[in-house]
Parts: sequence; C-alpha cells; structure tokens
Amino acid sequence: MPSLGLGRLLTRERVDPTARRPRGAGTSTFWIFSIGSATLLFMGWLLPWFVRPTSSGIGYSPMDVVSSAPTGIGTFLVYLLGIGMLVMVLSPFAELFYRARKRAVPERLDQVRVLIAVFGLVSTVVVFLLTRVIQEEQLFGPIDAFTITDSAVWLTMVGYILAATAYGLRGWVIRRPTTAFAALALPVGILLPLMFHQAPVFILWAAGSLGIYTLLALGLNVVVGFAGLLDLGYAAFFAIGAYTCGSLASPKHSIHLPLWVLIFLGAAVASMFGAVLGAPTLRLRGDYLAIVTLGFGEIIPDLATNNIGKLTGGPDGISSIDQPIVHLPFATINFGINKEWYYWSVLLVVIVVIVLLRNLEHSRVGRAWVALREDEVAAAATGINTTSTKLLAFAIGASVSGLAGAFYGSIVTIVSPDDFSFSVSVSILSIIVLGGIGNITGVIVGSFVLTFVIFWMLQYLNEWSATLGQTINVPSLGNIDYSQYTYMIYGVALILMMLLRPGGLIPSRARQIELTSGGEEESLAAVQGIA
Amino acid sequence: MSDESPAAADGMLVDQRGLTSRSHRGAASSPAVVATSTVLRQLYSLVQRYFPQILVAGIALSILFVYTTGGLTLMGEQIKNALVLGAIYALVAIGYTMVYGIIELINFAHGDVFALSSFYALIIATSFGGFVNSLATGSGIGLLVALVILFVTTMAAAGFTGMAIERVAYRRLRDAPRLAPLITAIGVSFLLEGFMLVKFGADNVPTKNDLWITGTALTLGKVSIAWTDLFVFATAVALMFTLGAFVRITTLGKAMRATAQDRNASLLCGINVNRTISATFFIGSALAAAGGIVYSLNYHSIQWSLGYRLGIIAFTAAVLGGIGNIVGAGIGGFVIGIIYVFGGQLAGGEWSDSLIFAILVIILTFRPTGLFGVDVTTRA
Amino acid sequence: MALIEVESMVKRFGGLMAVNDVSFVIDTREIVSMIGPNGAGKTTAFNCVTGLYPMTSGAVRFDGHIITGQPPHRITRLGIARTFQNIRLFSFMTALDNVMVGAHWWMSARVWDSVVKSPRARADEKRVEARARDLLEQLGLTRYAGSYARELPYGLQRRLEIARALATQPRVLLLDEPAAGLNPQEKKELMALISRLRDEGLTIFLIEHDMRVVMEISDRIVVLDHGVKITEGKPAEVRSNPQVIEAYLGQGAAERMVDA
Repeated sequence: MPSLGLGRLLTRERVDPTARRPRGAGTSTFWIFSIGSATLLFMGWLLPWFVRPTSSGIGYSPMDVVSSAPTGIGTFLVYLLGIGMLVMVLSPFAELFYRARKRAVPERLDQVRVLIAVFGLVSTVVVFLLTRVIQEEQLFGPIDAFTITDSAVWLTMVGYILAATAYGLRGWVIRRPTTAFAALALPVGILLPLMFHQAPVFILWAAGSLGIYTLLALGLNVVVGFAGLLDLGYAAFFAIGAYTCGSLASPKHSIHLPLWVLIFLGAAVASMFGAVLGAPTLRLRGDYLAIVTLGFGEIIPDLATNNIGKLTGGPDGISSIDQPIVHLPFATINFGINKEWYYWSVLLVVIVVIVLLRNLEHSRVGRAWVALREDEVAAAATGINTTSTKLLAFAIGASVSGLAGAFYGSIVTIVSPDDFSFSVSVSILSIIVLGGIGNITGVIVGSFVLTFVIFWMLQYLNEWSATLGQTINVPSLGNIDYSQYTYMIYGVALILMMLLRPGGLIPSRARQIELTSGGEEESLAAVQGIA
Repeated sequence: MSDESPAAADGMLVDQRGLTSRSHRGAASSPAVVATSTVLRQLYSLVQRYFPQILVAGIALSILFVYTTGGLTLMGEQIKNALVLGAIYALVAIGYTMVYGIIELINFAHGDVFALSSFYALIIATSFGGFVNSLATGSGIGLLVALVILFVTTMAAAGFTGMAIERVAYRRLRDAPRLAPLITAIGVSFLLEGFMLVKFGADNVPTKNDLWITGTALTLGKVSIAWTDLFVFATAVALMFTLGAFVRITTLGKAMRATAQDRNASLLCGINVNRTISATFFIGSALAAAGGIVYSLNYHSIQWSLGYRLGIIAFTAAVLGGIGNIVGAGIGGFVIGIIYVFGGQLAGGEWSDSLIFAILVIILTFRPTGLFGVDVTTRA
Repeated sequence: MALIEVESMVKRFGGLMAVNDVSFVIDTREIVSMIGPNGAGKTTAFNCVTGLYPMTSGAVRFDGHIITGQPPHRITRLGIARTFQNIRLFSFMTALDNVMVGAHWWMSARVWDSVVKSPRARADEKRVEARARDLLEQLGLTRYAGSYARELPYGLQRRLEIARALATQPRVLLLDEPAAGLNPQEKKELMALISRLRDEGLTIFLIEHDMRVVMEISDRIVVLDHGVKITEGKPAEVRSNPQVIEAYLGQGAAERMVDA
C-alpha cells in the first residue's frame, strides 16, 4: 500500500512503545480512546433498538441488514460500512497485541483507520444525497425503501465517523479536547431530528429531557463547580422558571406572552430569587449551606402545592401552557406539532449558554469564583467581595435554571409541584458529579448519559424486556417496572463516582485533585467569629 | 484614571497608580447603603442573641392561640401529639448529631435508615409464619417478649446497616473535603429509597400491628392518652437516658467523645478510631430503628419515602439542639415536635413541613450553633 | 506622615486578651517590624488591621480615615495588602492566575463584559495579564507562570504570595513571617526585595522571627509580648532593651545579660 502520508498527517502521535510519550497521552489515554470509540460504535448499533424497541416497519435495526441479501448499492454500502466498523472496533485489540509484545504499532494500522474514516464520511454524504436530494431510494434493494434513511443508518454512520475521526485525529483530540468535542458533537446535535424524523418521541426526549437537563446541569455547575457552593435546592429555580412560564402563557391568568419573552423573564425572576435565597447562606460553611438550600428547595414546591395566593393551581399545577406558533413568509411552524423546533431552540440556547458560561469561567469573575472555592479568607484578603461574588454565582446559576424552566413549561404544557421535587435536584447533581464537577464538557456528557438512561432507556426497557421475555419464554421479565430503578441509579452513580472517580467521567484537572485531597475548608464568617 | 492607562512601568514592582490616596475609589458605599446594612446587621445580631427567647415566645404564643381557639382539650390533645411526634424526631435526631459530632458529616441517609428499619420491623414481625405477631397479640407476657425480640433484632439489623454504610460509603472519604462525603451520603439515601421503592412498592404499607398495644391508659380531663402514646414516649426517653449514661460512663463512650474532639490525637492515644466511628454509626442507626418501630406501632402505616422528610425534620431538631450535642438533639426533637404540631394547627396542616424547613433555614442562618451551642465536652 | 495609626487596639477571644491596648504608628515609606515571642498576638494584630478579625475595641486609621469595621476586601481595596504566615495561595490555580486574582478588584470589566467577552473585557484581561506576567518576571517566577501554585517550591510560594499582594496595588504591604522556612540565600533576596519595594514607594509592615532580617531592614520595631506592646524604637534601641530580652529569654536570662 503506497504511503499517502495521510496517517502521519492526521496522527501526530506516533505510537512507539519505547519512545517517551508526551504528557497526557499515556496508556490511560490509549484506553480511553479504544474503549470510548468502541463504545460509541456499539451505541450507534444499539441505539435504534432503544429508540424504537419493538415496533416493526418503522424501526430499523442492524438485524435487518444482516437478514437481507445485499442486492442494492445502498445495502452493499451498508455492508461495507459494517466491515469497516468491525476493523475499527478490532483495531484497538491489534494495537494492544503489539503493545503486549513491546513492538511498535505499524503505521499502516493508523493509515487504514484514517482511510476507513474518509470512506465512511464520503459514503454517508453519498447516501444522504441519494436519499434526500436525488430521491433514489430504490437503490437500497430489498429493505423498505423508506427505512434505509431512518435513524439507525444515520446514527450508525455518524457514530462510526466519530469513532474513526477520533482515532485518526487523536493527536489533535489530545491537544484540544474541548474543541474536538465540540466539533464532533455539534453535527450529531444539529442533525439529530433528521436522523430520527420517524421517532418524534425521541426528539421530544432530546428537547425535553436531554436539552433541559443539560441546561440545568450547566447552571448548577456554575454554583457547585465554579464557585464550590453545594446547592441541593436547585430545582426550586427550575420551578420558578416553569411557573413563570405557566402563569404568563396559559389560560390560567389569561395572559399569553410569547416564549421568547418568557425565557428571559423566567431567567430574570429565577436569578432574583437566586440572589434573595442565596443571601442567608453566605456566611455558612459548605455542608450547612447545602442544607439551607435544600430547605428552600422543599419550601418552594410546597408553596406551589398549597396554591399560594391562588396563583399556582395547587397540586394540579397549571395546564395547557401555550406552545409557540411561528409564522414565517414561506411556512408556519407549530412547535406543538413539530417538536424538532423545540429541540433546535433548546439546542441553540444550550450552545449560547455554553459559550457565555465559558466566557465567564475564563474571566475575572471565573477566577474570583475559583479563588473563593479554594480559600475564602485569602480571597477576601486579596480584594474579592466574597458576598457579591457568591450571590453572583447563585444568581447566574438560577437564571440558567429559570430559563430551562420556561422552556420546560412550554414543552410539556403542564407544570405541577411534583416535577420539582428533591429528586430533580439530585438528578441534576448526579449529572454533574457523573460528568465531572466544574467541567462543561463533562457536564454535557453526564447529562447525555444520565438522561438517556433515566428518561429514555428505563421507559422502554419495560417494553423491551417484555418482548425479550416472550422470545426466550421467561414471562416474568415482562413484569419488571424498570422505571422504579431511577432512584437507585442516581444513588449508585453518586456513590461510585465519589468513591472511585471523584472528578467525574471527564474531570477538570484542578477539580479532580481538589476533590481527592482538599484541605479543611474554612469560611470567612467562621474566621471572623460571626458564625 | 482611564482604563487605557498603561500598567506600572516595566521593571517596577509597585504599581505607582496604587500609591495614591483612594478612599473615594470603589471603597466607599453610598450613605443609604451603609445605613441599611447597619440596620440589617443590628437586626441580625439582635435575632442572633435573643434567638432562644424569640423561639420560646413564638411557641408559647402559638400554644396560647390554640388554647384560645380550641380550648383546653384541643391544646392537651395537641401537646400529647407533639410529644409523641417529638419523641420519634428525638430518636432520629440523635443519630444525626452523633455522626456529625464525630466525623462532621451530615449523614443524609440516616432518615432512610429510619424508614428501612421500620420495614425491617415489619419483616421480622411477619416472618416465621407471623410468629412474633401472634406472640404479641396473645398475652401480656407475650407482648413483652415480642417487643424485646422486635427491638433487639431490628435495632441490631439497622445498626449493622448503618455500620455497613459507613464502611462502604464514608470511610474512604473521611479525609476528603466536606462536600465529597455529603454527596455520597445523598447517594446512599437515594440508593436506600430506591431499594425500598423496588422492594416494597410505591404505596403505603400497613404494618399490621394495630393489635399489639391497644386501649387508653389514662384520661386527663378530656384528653385520652393511649397506651401507644405512653409507650412511644417512655421508650424514647428511656433509650435517650441509656445512651447518655453509655456515652458518659463506658470506655467506648469516652472513646467517642475523644474522637469527636480530635481524631488524630485519639489515634495517638491508642483509640481504635475506625471501631469507634463504626460504633457511633451502629448506635445512631439502632436508635433510628427504635424510632422506626415506635413509629410503626403508633401510626400503623409506612412508606418508602417516609425517611426523607422525616429525616430533614429530625436533622432540624439536631441543629436546633446544637449539632454534636446529644442532649440538645433530644430536647430539639421535642421542641420541633411542638412546633410541627402547633405550627400546623395555626397555619394549616399543609404548611407544617414548610414551617419546619423555614425554621431550619432560620436556625442555620441566625444561630448555626443551635440553642445550646456546641459544648465540646458533651460532643460524641 | 502617618499612614497607619493603630489606636488602643484590643482583641479578646473569650477570656484571652490576645491584643491588649496596643497603639503604634507607621509612616509612609517606612519598614516597620513587629516582633515578639510566639503567642504574643502579632498575627492577631495583623488580622485586626486587615479586617479579618473584628476588633473588640480601638481603632485603626489608614491615611487619616478610620477603617475599623470595614470588611477585609474593602480594606485591601483601600491599599492594605497582606501575606499569610501559613502561605494561603490558591493551590489549584496557576501562578499567573493567582497574581491576576490580586488584580480582580481594579479590573474595569463588568459582569456583562465578562459574559459576552466584550472588547472592554478582552482589553482589560490583556492589560492585567501583562501586568501579572511583568510581576512574575520581576520576581523570577516566569517559568512557573503556568504551574499550579502548590507545585512551586516553598520559597517561591512565599514570593508568589507577595506577587499576588502587589497586584492589588497596595500602599502598604503586610508580611506575616515572610522569611520563615527560607534558606540564607533566599532570605538575602527577600531583604533586597523588601528594600526595593520601599524604594519604589511602598510602606512595609512585617512580622518576623528572624532577628538578622529584622534588625537589618527595619526602620523601627514594635515589640509585643502577651498582647501588650512592651517597647518600640530603632533596631539598636530595641536590641538593648532589657524588657525585650526578658520577653524572649525569660527573667533570669535578662538579668544575666544586663549583668554581663
């Protein structure tokens, strides 16, 4: 095979066991990449099963490809992709084999992988053009012409490209992990509704669960991750945002404000509450602060339950919240029907919030938060106003939550006090603990993993398990209600992460060491003898 | 000074701009802000100083209010309810306070240990063909035996549960920053709740021990006090006194107090710190289990999520009594019981929980040391 | 001209009089040391000046204005910067970030600027980073700019703490045992640094146990024992003061020294 120089171009890091590897690209990186990419691939395979576990016809699973003969070009393409993927999945083992024998991994292996990646990319574009632009779905042989464009193929292809690119570009990925993550995740994020256009429930999940919880986790991350203040009542601000939306865009009070106004209004109201509720906690030590916020987190939904001022509708909450209808010159978009527009709106907001929070993190404010988290006394002695800095963290965290709440209200059209219980606060905390406290990338990964497991997989696992039970003749499998395991999953996630990997799946470097070997924290108020 | 002015000339360590007088620069606040903050600060220190008086006055007023609206009978009835409820809070609060005293951890899972042990009690009473249950409803002596069996086995089981939780989830994080074990504790709490949810279902579970202790013990005026009320109260008080004596007299109790004061020094003195902490968890959980038993004997219905709110309320009691202070936790439990019942009577029962949470916020804000301060010598 | 005036400072912890009716004055561009045996109340006095401890009674004037009761950050903003006896750097921030935190209060970017990364915020950030790098370079810390503060050798951590304090644009620098744990070479450098800071216009107030350092650089020395100021004066005066010797070495020693 002629050397294209491609492998060398794309993989800055030559794998040579005798050479000293650059810092951060050691064995653990190798493992992360191998396992991570393989997982990504398998998820690509398996996701469709979870997205449409039992229905026949619409759903498409890898099994369909296996059971059909490769007659059409498209099916042939799918086969080729399958083989390519197999190579990709197995290549880490080849690499491992070389490493175990202390021999240099041949450069050809990398070249092969890069070629496969390029092939995957090209063929995906080809399939996309064929099916969407030229409408030549007949090319796809015996498989239902329509289904070939469905979720599974898209997702498999994208997952496969991601894995391949991650392999091929791993030198770059190691050097600029955040950029790499953004570059790899964004296409999937934006194209998701197209890939799953036949599974609107999945789009709804992506908007209402993944999107909303990502926002919530990003906001909580400001408070817990950046400023180091454990807020256990974070769902309260979520509730405030949702009730703001519910009150001002529903028949309840006969007010109908547009959603675009409400998300800002929800954010503003919530941040105000954040500052007000944060104020009493300012002089408290970390764990007491957590409990006070927990108290607020219980009081706010209680106020809603008890229908304070006849504003909140009591335990039933507020229902039939408006869903926006946008009139464009060429079309009318009804968010209630075309849920993917909710998804895209939330995605846009998530991206904006991420950009803004990253700005904040790397600004004077972010530095002040870290300083405060590390040593409140020294921070005060260095001229940082600890009070206003903490309040700012609370207010900004709450505003993101309020924004998420407004969206949530509009998406689900009904808000009731039960939606904002302590378990919601804990689920958001679990997300950031799982993903990596203080790390925005980690938060996104954590929110994907957890919302997928809790709000998607568990819902469909019942159905899936029942089918499996019928197939293998163990009917008791159909009787398990997997959604009951939600609490246990949060619990186990929190315990295991704190015990085994306190920095989370993707730790922020400083936070990781800090969580394992932190010193005694000491509040300014305690030093001053006030509290 | 404009933003664009260059920084100190290169080669200078001292920023020459800084050397000017600057009482006007960013330092001084407007008189209105100063005045407001002064007033607030004075108000704050006033509330802080007279916190016990304010609390007692509030409670007295609400009792008085109940008396004027409902008369003596209602008041007496409510005082009885408050004491029964308070006894349970006190039993649970002691576990919080002991654990916090010794490893400065808010053992978030403690409330769920309470709930779990009420299920333990249910299992023990109904297993072996309902042997314990039939024993208890048979005769007076039988009831006594059944109670002993139930208390001993349940408290032991809960105690070991508590020890296991400490061993698995908290011990490795003992020297980590304070928030790490707190997050783990929340995890344990959710794990236990989830376990109970899966195992015992989402609905209320009847404990089927209505017939264990029945009848009215005595009637004061028009207030009839049932045997169960008396039993709950007496059990709680007896256990608390036993614990008090235990901590004061026994070697283990002394080891606990020593460990609470200075873990490293205790280690140097030859105290087995791990065992002492395990013992603390055992005792705390066992007391919570006693609370769970008397709860189920009194209210006859338990639920998987029982421990969450009750746990927070009991924690409030522990904070009110001064966290780390065992006697304080006991008293705090009863005070919170009174606030819960009378506050609920006053504001409407649906506000009882909120009221307690508000009290929690207020205590931690104004007087984190609680009513009785942290008297280090009585910590354990 | 008096820059800091401490008037009858009293600080009581429960029954313990940590600082008892101490008064002294520090003039502009003066190097004043505070010495005294362990537990004499030196650090407590420092903490009272910088607002970390509320004083039981008494007053501190800075530049003619009473600053007693002001919160610590405001006192720092007025121009009193400090270091700590047990170095209190932000361990998991880089050396550069540590210094930039010192510049936090006089940065002009508002929260909104930071959020949207406005041109003002960028310029501000650039300016402050340049200043911070400049400070690091002058203190010989350039190659550690990107390291976590905790990764620095001990002596350099002390210097980094001074850099952070200097970034707050102080008029007075309070150093709490800056020479503790330094080797002779580092001590020499420290003394040179302190002299230089004074030459550039700073007023220095330090607590120090190393008498060679104290005697060599101080213009005046304040001596504390058991919370009480026992004397104050030029190094030579203090060195020969029997009360000082007594405080340090005990009664008998003092008598013997006077006899000798």
